[in-house]
Amino acid sequence: MIQTLKMAWRNLGRNRRRSLLSSLAVSFGAALLLLMAAVLRGEMRGAIQNTIRLQSGHLQIRALSYDENKVSLAWEDLIAGPDAVIQQLSAIPQVKTATPRLIASGILTLGDQSRGVQVVGIDPDSPANQVFRSGILAGSFLDAGDREGILVGRPLAENFGLQPGDQVSVLVNTSDGTVDEQLFAVRGVYSTNTSAYDEGTVFMPLAKAQTFSRAQDHASSIFILLREQEQAEAVAAAIQSQAYQVLTWQSMNELIVQTEEFAGAYMVILYFIVLGITATVVTNTLVMAVFERTREIGILSALGMKGRQIMAGFLAEAGLLATGGVIGGLLLGGLAVAYFARYGFYIGDFGMTGILLGDTIYAYLTAQDALSLSAATYIITLAAAFYPASLAARLEPAEALHAH
Amino acid sequence: MRLYLRLAWRNLWRHTRRTVIIVVAMALSLALMMLYDGLVDGFSQAIYGNAVRVLGGNIQVHAAGYRAKVDSNPMIPLPDAEAVVQQALESDAVWVAARRIRTGGLLSNREGAFPVTIVGIDPEVEAPVSLIAEHISAGRFLMASDTDSVLVGKGLAEAMELQVGDRLTLVGSDLHKQNRQRTATVIGIYDLGLPSSEKSIAYISLAEAQALFDLTNQATEIQITLRQLGTEDDTVSALTPRLPGYEVESWEQNYPELGNALGSKNAVMSIFSVILVVIAGIGILNLLLMAVYERTREIGLLGALGVKPRQIALIFILEGSLIGLVGVALGILVGLVLNGSLGRVGLDYSQFAGMTEYMALISGKVYPTAGTGNLLGRGLTVLIISTLAAFVPAIEAARREPAEALHYV
Repeated sequence: MIQTLKMAWRNLGRNRRRSLLSSLAVSFGAALLLLMAAVLRGEMRGAIQNTIRLQSGHLQIRALSYDENKVSLAWEDLIAGPDAVIQQLSAIPQVKTATPRLIASGILTLGDQSRGVQVVGIDPDSPANQVFRSGILAGSFLDAGDREGILVGRPLAENFGLQPGDQVSVLVNTSDGTVDEQLFAVRGVYSTNTSAYDEGTVFMPLAKAQTFSRAQDHASSIFILLREQEQAEAVAAAIQSQAYQVLTWQSMNELIVQTEEFAGAYMVILYFIVLGITATVVTNTLVMAVFERTREIGILSALGMKGRQIMAGFLAEAGLLATGGVIGGLLLGGLAVAYFARYGFYIGDFGMTGILLGDTIYAYLTAQDALSLSAATYIITLAAAFYPASLAARLEPAEALHAH
Repeated sequence: MRLYLRLAWRNLWRHTRRTVIIVVAMALSLALMMLYDGLVDGFSQAIYGNAVRVLGGNIQVHAAGYRAKVDSNPMIPLPDAEAVVQQALESDAVWVAARRIRTGGLLSNREGAFPVTIVGIDPEVEAPVSLIAEHISAGRFLMASDTDSVLVGKGLAEAMELQVGDRLTLVGSDLHKQNRQRTATVIGIYDLGLPSSEKSIAYISLAEAQALFDLTNQATEIQITLRQLGTEDDTVSALTPRLPGYEVESWEQNYPELGNALGSKNAVMSIFSVILVVIAGIGILNLLLMAVYERTREIGLLGALGVKPRQIALIFILEGSLIGLVGVALGILVGLVLNGSLGRVGLDYSQFAGMTEYMALISGKVYPTAGTGNLLGRGLTVLIISTLAAFVPAIEAARREPAEALHYV
């Protein structure tokens, strides 16, 4: 075995440039796989973190009949007296913060322009809304007592040409199933670097949202952030009650998980294409090497070397190439992933609804991906050597000796 | 030159086996790259292709100033809608030209409220070409005389739990920047199988929209349906000079978010595909290097016979390009067959069909396209690499002392 490896190593060394190029091709293949996997993971991970941060939280409490797709404001679909619930929640040590939110569908109108938005009533003083406070680009954040101020996202402000202080008309649906409209002043422009969210979300203080939409002392949901993301299931079980539905971030992000599976299934095909090209390179290079060394193989078999051993020799060469290639691929791929993890791919507004993709994808490589993709590269490279190796093993010694 | 070409061509087939190996490697690499392109394209089309189905073959005419505010549904009446319709119909490519009113609005009932685009249509004019009219799943299509009636998509009907005959509140902003509210009855439900786009558009009759939004005898948009898909650009450029003061655009420009999404997806994917070319390139380079070095002796012989180094190099470079040409040709063939057969079968993603909501417009299957979009670039790369790969060893070999090269084993 060691003998075979040693011979393979020397054979590779006989033509360094060629061996280097072959294993470089394998490296690029492996690196590309790692990068592709990391971009996909990063995309989905970013989407989940964004959703948790902005929309779902780690846990949410809603009324039993509340359906998030309908944005109903009928009282029976809302939580009555959210403050009492929050009081109870804050006694739980794992809960970092809990805050009520009221969500209404609305239209923002300015001059001849109008756009459908989601109007979210928030408690400006809650630490859970710090993410919006720190994202203020112009103007100021809301005050809890403000009765005619709103915050708009950057893409929305740009489309409408809004500055802090400008007046816009906001129309929302109300608890009794009709609509109401009022003029508001833009207090500030915020950005969460998630265009999909920013372009369609307008904030106003909870108290104002409650009177405006006639929800009174009701909230659509209670948004909860935990100290540890992993505690969601446990805390959800602890606060489970007959009166409310308690949702974890996992269940609220099912769509993203599903999307990731879907994208993963699609990526597998792309992986095979990349590996196919790598395999083509390896197979053809080795086939050429076999023909080049026909005479030599003839001598070896004339000296009594068995076909099996000759085959093992070529496979060992491929194994060494693959080892070098995978190591190189991990290095190259690691560097590329590190770069994109830091600076990201800027994709801007992806125009997708229902999923909060950030404007930039940060690559994220898991150990499991790195391992399984390295293994796949290794196996495919070895498999690609089978044809040339068996070709070499089957050569007729007498004929091979006469080759030139 | 002819002589060199002939020499190079003959040389190629003197070493049939070697040539075949190289050609196969090139062809497979190219074919796989085409498969990659085809899949990426096919995937984009699966998502956005339905948009072409729903929106394609269409041109819209708006008043000046619309484009700049396209994201926010500006309501700018056309100065003379009738004249635009007349102008449009003069073109042979145009099938139907219909007046519309388009504005942002909200539909609400006890179930909740949904922001929608409210489109007032001229039902009798649009019926023959309307995809919506073809896909009415309950109730009926609009009629010009309908008042207080709205046609909604199945996606919206499900979310709002609407049946034909149910009442809802319709709100839209009128010309005077006021929101106008009206109770309307659901007269029909259409089903395009695209829940998320169905959710965002509701139709009313043009007459009602004119009354509701204070646009007596006016329209904000002319919707032009062409006889043939793919003639959008020609028709747009033909119409534009005849309609000064109007903005004439194909659907691609009117739905910029679709274009953006496609563009950025492609940007990421093209980084991947560049790396793919590099991998294939390294392989091809390697093989060609091997092939030329194997022939050092032959080069020595040529030198000994008095062929000049420049001429030797030329022969080898020509060989490289020829082999590249053959490889590219075969690769395109294999790639087309590959994509063609996969394109016919399609890749079944229907197990993920539950996600159609998010995937905007995707349907169950992904069909790879021919993958010829990047073909020129890819084929050229393969060709250039094969020429270059022949270049280095050819120069090196040509410079060698004939006597020495002759002794090379």
